[in-house]
Amino acid sequence: MSLIQIKRQRKSDVNLKQVYDAIVVGSGAAGGMAAHVLTSKGMKVLLLEAGKKLDLDKELKSTEWPYEHRRRGEMPPDAHALIPNEYTIRQPPYAKGLPHKHVYSYVQSWGGSDYSKNIVVDERDHPYTGTNYAWVRARVLGGKTTIWGRLALRLSDLDFKAKTHDGYGEDWPISYADLAPYYDKVDLYLGISGQKENLPHLPDSIFQRPTKLNFAEVKLRQGLKKMNRVLTPYRAGVTTDGLKHNKYRNRCYGRGACNRRAGGCDIHAAFDSPTGLIYPAMDTGNLTLRTNAIAYEVTVDKNTGKATGVAFVDAETKKTYEAKAKVVVLAASTLESTRLMLLSKSALHPNGIGNSSAHVGHNFCEHIMGPGVAGLVKDLVGKPHTLDDGRPGGFYVARFRNLTDRHADFIRGYGFEGGSGTTMFPGNAMGTTGFGANYKKQVRDYAGAFISMGAFGEVLPRYENYVDIDPEMKDAWGIPVLRFHYKFGDNEKKMAKDMADTAREMFEAAGIEVVGVEREILTEGWSIHELGTARMGMDKKTAVLNQFQQSHDVKNLFVVDGSSHVSASCQNPTWTIMALAWRSCDYLADQFKKGNL
Amino acid sequence: MADQSEKQKMMKDNNQPATDEAQDLRAQTTSNEAAGMSRREVLKLTASAIVAAPLLPATTQATQRKAAAKAPAPRFFTRAEFALVDELTELIIPTDDHSPGARAAKVAEYIDRRLAESFEAEPKQMWRDGLKLIETISQEMHGRAFLQATPDERIALLTRISQNEREPKKPEEKFFVELKARTVNAYYTSKIGIHTEMEYKGNTYLKEFVGVDAT
Ligand SMILES: Cc1cc2nc3c(=O)[nH]c(=O)nc-3n(C[C@H](O)[C@H](O)[C@H](O)COP(=O)(O)OP(=O)(O)OC[C@H]3O[C@@H](n4cnc5c(N)ncnc54)[C@H](O)[C@@H]3O)c2cc1C
Ligand code: SF4
Repeated sequence: MSLIQIKRQRKSDVNLKQVYDAIVVGSGAAGGMAAHVLTSKGMKVLLLEAGKKLDLDKELKSTEWPYEHRRRGEMPPDAHALIPNEYTIRQPPYAKGLPHKHVYSYVQSWGGSDYSKNIVVDERDHPYTGTNYAWVRARVLGGKTTIWGRLALRLSDLDFKAKTHDGYGEDWPISYADLAPYYDKVDLYLGISGQKENLPHLPDSIFQRPTKLNFAEVKLRQGLKKMNRVLTPYRAGVTTDGLKHNKYRNRCYGRGACNRRAGGCDIHAAFDSPTGLIYPAMDTGNLTLRTNAIAYEVTVDKNTGKATGVAFVDAETKKTYEAKAKVVVLAASTLESTRLMLLSKSALHPNGIGNSSAHVGHNFCEHIMGPGVAGLVKDLVGKPHTLDDGRPGGFYVARFRNLTDRHADFIRGYGFEGGSGTTMFPGNAMGTTGFGANYKKQVRDYAGAFISMGAFGEVLPRYENYVDIDPEMKDAWGIPVLRFHYKFGDNEKKMAKDMADTAREMFEAAGIEVVGVEREILTEGWSIHELGTARMGMDKKTAVLNQFQQSHDVKNLFVVDGSSHVSASCQNPTWTIMALAWRSCDYLADQFKKGNL
Repeated sequence: MADQSEKQKMMKDNNQPATDEAQDLRAQTTSNEAAGMSRREVLKLTASAIVAAPLLPATTQATQRKAAAKAPAPRFFTRAEFALVDELTELIIPTDDHSPGARAAKVAEYIDRRLAESFEAEPKQMWRDGLKLIETISQEMHGRAFLQATPDERIALLTRISQNEREPKKPEEKFFVELKARTVNAYYTSKIGIHTEMEYKGNTYLKEFVGVDAT
């Protein structure tokens, strides 16, 4: 039974003879924001999205009980979601040699991948080669924002001026003051829930009502206070008070669905790009949307080298088309935009468009994950079960390493995400050994008493960490694929050791009994926060884009996704991606009006 | 929590289970509360679970056989295998004075359905072999078939094969891990498991999340 509802494109919808003011490639956080800002400035925009327009509400079905689903949320037997070991042991392309009809990039879990199987890509159609990398992609209208974890954090000058601080890498060509007004705009337009903490290295947003901490989390918060570390309620890209200006979204009703599926909020309290940005942009009358449109080349003018539009292939018919525009904005996600730039070779751009620096694909960075801790709060054992998953998230522990002090073993830092309490499926059921009445009682008595957290740490950008185009492998549409040359380095590994140590130390300081410490590092890519492959910078020899995410080489080409980030910081990237895209598109629209593009 | 748990859920697991699905189930062990903990490092929590083995519910073999004859034919298991699985799952999660157990939650039926449609030969073989092994061990330990053994004898057998749950080595120990993973998954996703046993209160529209005021 297919639940997919595709809004068929009528020919009249998409006029490919027209020269648009701008083409935006990709409809996730970055592309949605570009579409919103440019259309609100009156520009005529064509949005090309490789995936389908899915009826997300029908996909996610977030209030369906497990027993109402014939496989309790798991995928049908002919489909296989990659398991963790496949990412570490086997070499990509990961689907190769597996008997299943479909192989998905997002790891199967009880969380119910049957609900995300039409959202994440099928590795059979989307292979890649090289070093191990868990590359999770969502090819649908809205991209990964349809299932993201919605932790929405700001960066600070500790990140933007990291080189000034510790000497490594490059500073960003902007500072916090440049971006703060745009963070504010994103907060107000999309809604964010959180609590003010006045931390210089984790600036506050303009928050709506925060979600509350539960007993165990407050205990940890108080324990950490003594250590001068801050635990704050999950800062969620979720509207808890509602958004009067957006009729497509509801306020959060805390249904507990956040933590049950592979993300996805079907009442759209959590931000997703379609309801948050794209539908409102369509309401301006300035946005034309073409789904199933896989861009494979930015076309250029032979004489000027400027972008003239985008060539794409229809995902279903495999017919190719060319769309024309005065400005091209790439927002296909970090690695896909990079791939597109590298594929767009021409006489004037022999290394790919915008790549005279030979830096496109390089300085690839992200977050390292794995280490964490689980603990038991004794006071809660045997207590009646409270409801703990009726909220968008648990807590976040702000970075505390290398703020003013200097750690002997590594530079930069990490934060922790965590939570505690009862969830629909008792988290301790699988780990509790034994059987019989005693087992059953133990699961029941202990289910609400656990608290855990896992770290996300900054991975340093290094020129040697890069992607390029594989000379042989092609995807299902005949488009050459990416080849990875990417490994964690020494700084990351030392940081990971410290993560595990401090995780334990913090639980102990809070009087929480430690039941397990995880020290192992997860495969590269696990954080799903890939960044940096077309970085910004003043110097066109070492940077691909200027501070407005505009190509140094091609002035009517912009790249507004995470590929522009100069360093990864340790905070999750999406809120910054959107603030930057807003800022750059403001500039773009202004330059466009002045005739400078 | 949302982001972290979704991603941590997939933590690498050191024991290599026989099937992907079992591994998924076990990876999920480390999901919410237990995120970040690999089983080999899980300490005190579980040590005591095994100590007091439960008493069997008083189901006579006659009534079991009658029930089995009435029930629709299993799709993967033979009727004899099905009766065995039904009893094994109930031994793992029995009815107690708090709530009904795996039998009432139709855990065996769910396992049967999933195995029948499985695309892979490996889990099917593992179950066929595992159930045979149970019978072999039962003969060896008690000189009779598992369902003919006394309640105490059945528990003794399960106790033996569950000894090395964290690091299963022998085939019967590996089978126990698989048997238990599927039982636990099916039970706690069933109506009885969620509502009666765990008394889960969520998946409903809330005015506000009731937490502790941290400010
Ligand atoms: C499970 C999960 C949890 C996450 N949790 C968090 C979190 O808590 N906090 C956080 O900050 N971030 C989180 N992220 C990351 C977040 O989703 C991304 O940072 C964000 O979506 C990036 O936006 P983007 O627009 O660059 O890319 P995407 O959202 O991936 O959108 C890119 C779009 O471009 C389209 N596209 C790709 N190639 C082409 C092509 N050739 N032609 C046309 N279209 C193309 C894709 O189909 C897609 O729709 C999470 C991600 C996942 C998957
Ligand atoms: S808890 Fe709130 S944000 Fe999360 S799925 Fe439910 S309504 Fe959406």
